[in-house]
Amino acid sequence: MKMFVGSNLERRLAAGHFAVTAEVGPPRGPDPADVKKKASILRGVADAYNVTDNQTAVVRMSSVAASKILLQEGLEPVMQIVCRDRNRIAIQSDLLGAWALGMRNVLCLSGDHQSAGAGGKLKGHPGAKNVYDIDSIQLISVVKGLRDGAIQEGGDSISPAAPFFIGAAWTPLSPPEKFRIIRLAKKINAGANFIQTQAVYDIKRFAEAVRRAEDMGLTDRAAILPGIIVPRSAGMLKYMNANVPGIEVPEDLIRRMKDAADPKIEGIEVTLELIDAVKNLSGIKGVHLQAIEAEELLPDIIRSAGLLPRPRIY
Amino acid sequence: MIFAEWKPLDELIDKLKTHKKVLLVGCATCVAECAAGGEKEVETLAPLLRMALKKRDHSVEIVTATLEKQCEWEFIEQLAHQVTEVDAIMSIACGIGVQALAERFDPITVYPGVNTSALTIREEAGLWATRCAACGDCILGETFGYCPVARCAKSLLNGPCGGTRKDGKCEVNGDVDCIWNLIVERADERGQLESLSEFKKAKDWSNSRHGGPKRVIREDLRQ
Amino acid sequence: MQNMESSEEPLLNFVFAFGKAHMSNKSQRPDQDPEIVVLYCQHGLRDEAKGSAWYQESAGLSVRAEMMPCSSKIEVSHILKLLESGADAVEVVACPEKSCKYLVGSLRAERRIEYIRGLLEKIGYAPQRVGISHKLSQSPEQLIDLARARADAVRPFGVNPMKKGE
Repeated sequence: MKMFVGSNLERRLAAGHFAVTAEVGPPRGPDPADVKKKASILRGVADAYNVTDNQTAVVRMSSVAASKILLQEGLEPVMQIVCRDRNRIAIQSDLLGAWALGMRNVLCLSGDHQSAGAGGKLKGHPGAKNVYDIDSIQLISVVKGLRDGAIQEGGDSISPAAPFFIGAAWTPLSPPEKFRIIRLAKKINAGANFIQTQAVYDIKRFAEAVRRAEDMGLTDRAAILPGIIVPRSAGMLKYMNANVPGIEVPEDLIRRMKDAADPKIEGIEVTLELIDAVKNLSGIKGVHLQAIEAEELLPDIIRSAGLLPRPRIY
Repeated sequence: MIFAEWKPLDELIDKLKTHKKVLLVGCATCVAECAAGGEKEVETLAPLLRMALKKRDHSVEIVTATLEKQCEWEFIEQLAHQVTEVDAIMSIACGIGVQALAERFDPITVYPGVNTSALTIREEAGLWATRCAACGDCILGETFGYCPVARCAKSLLNGPCGGTRKDGKCEVNGDVDCIWNLIVERADERGQLESLSEFKKAKDWSNSRHGGPKRVIREDLRQ
Repeated sequence: MQNMESSEEPLLNFVFAFGKAHMSNKSQRPDQDPEIVVLYCQHGLRDEAKGSAWYQESAGLSVRAEMMPCSSKIEVSHILKLLESGADAVEVVACPEKSCKYLVGSLRAERRIEYIRGLLEKIGYAPQRVGISHKLSQSPEQLIDLARARADAVRPFGVNPMKKGE
């Protein structure tokens, strides 16, 4: 298989191994030590680490900066880029800079609307002007242009090309479901090489969606990594089921967490079962793990799932 | 229509209190259709402002007028005499009207009494919703009559993001339908779902406000 | 061009008349008697009464009553102008919802009263200065009683600030 850029993640997938990615949220502050701390917890447990880009429109250390710190700590980043805050000029500029600093994987997202940043205890910036100059699919195409054509969106060239391993998101279960497979196809046609999905809890429905992707030949063209968020309580699952579009949690899972003697331990059990289930789905090439503000749980989970140590790539 | 709403009354009082006699001017077109600046609203706002000013011991006389359109010089001219008798104007027309008055009646101060915020339709009594974003590059022919530029919070052009809720509403604002959900449903009803799999490239925003303020000349209509 | 002076509302004449009557009666009544305007739906008053506009003084208050074809015809601007010209409160007498001859008229009136209350609050006036009752076929005395109830509701807030300095 042709190698686009030869990042660790790309090579892991090319070797046919089950890939593991994990999420690292940058701090709400300028201290690199916060990023280094998470790096030391997660070193060696995943093939690449997603660095979020002002997720939920909350100002955090920029994803390019936090990605660079991870890189310096020996971890390979997947730099997330959202379309909410930067126009195509700034995005392309950031991509060139990111490449110069050593970034090789990017994940292209639309990004939560800025109103999401104002909620709970946070004031956020709901009054900010939003950008959304391009959408996530156009962004994928822009990155592909920089990589394969050494060309900017507007037509001018760059020199040399900036090759990235391009990722995109997939939310197979939010309405309109009939379109979600078309949207996946559009992203892969535009140039996406790997796909990380919205958190999966309903294996049956997820499997159906993956089968459809397989039928369309999409699982051969891009590596699909289902997202798994470690559940900590029934309340958390209920909340996500009700409020996060695309997250569907079966009733009996919520009940199971509710009835558990220790929901935190049960949540880890659930996570391991989900990892095992998706590992056995045809067309699935890895898993994307998220433990929101609880990254310290991940090393043990990944070990218990039989995914450590990460195999050597020859 | 161009949509506007009253500014907070405190803000209006604050501006008016330093004047002796103010002309409150409405417009019978767009702002009348959105119940913000028509004759009815002038007749509502005037007593309200007088009462508010009196309570705060400001003596400001307010006289009123409503023009057919505040964006036509011939109608604006009708105010010429009244304007000589006041020391400020407050317009509850859209920003176009406010500026037209400011230009014609310089040096008198013209205050806006409303915030102009959208291009809307009145869906039903008492309910206005955004329809158009004046993007200058209309794609309604490809989106089955629903505009994603104006009606998607992220102006997405290639389909919905992951934020379409189970009830078909948008995660950004639960009162609003996910417009892409509506586009997909309509495309499907017409057997044209496939047309939405076509890649829509990055939009050219330059024919809108993003390209800078417009100044358009039609030679065939010049005198 | 449209402006206030050329309006055809007959009620505007009523408002001016009310103002004038208030001025001339001032020396004959104690200042603290509230002045209530009652706007009633024509179906709210029994047939044998009073004509379309009438004035009555009663113990402790003065009432100016005006008949409307339907409470839904009552405009927000009209009520605000009544308050602006010195009425201490305005009571709208609408028909009960199920009896409204124009079907949704009294519901609309209800919404407008709520809206006016909100506006009054925003400018620091007591929202109690406008109210609505739903009654059918009242006698004049019953209408006066409704005015009295409104006067009681508004008494704690004192005289309409628009009357100060007269």
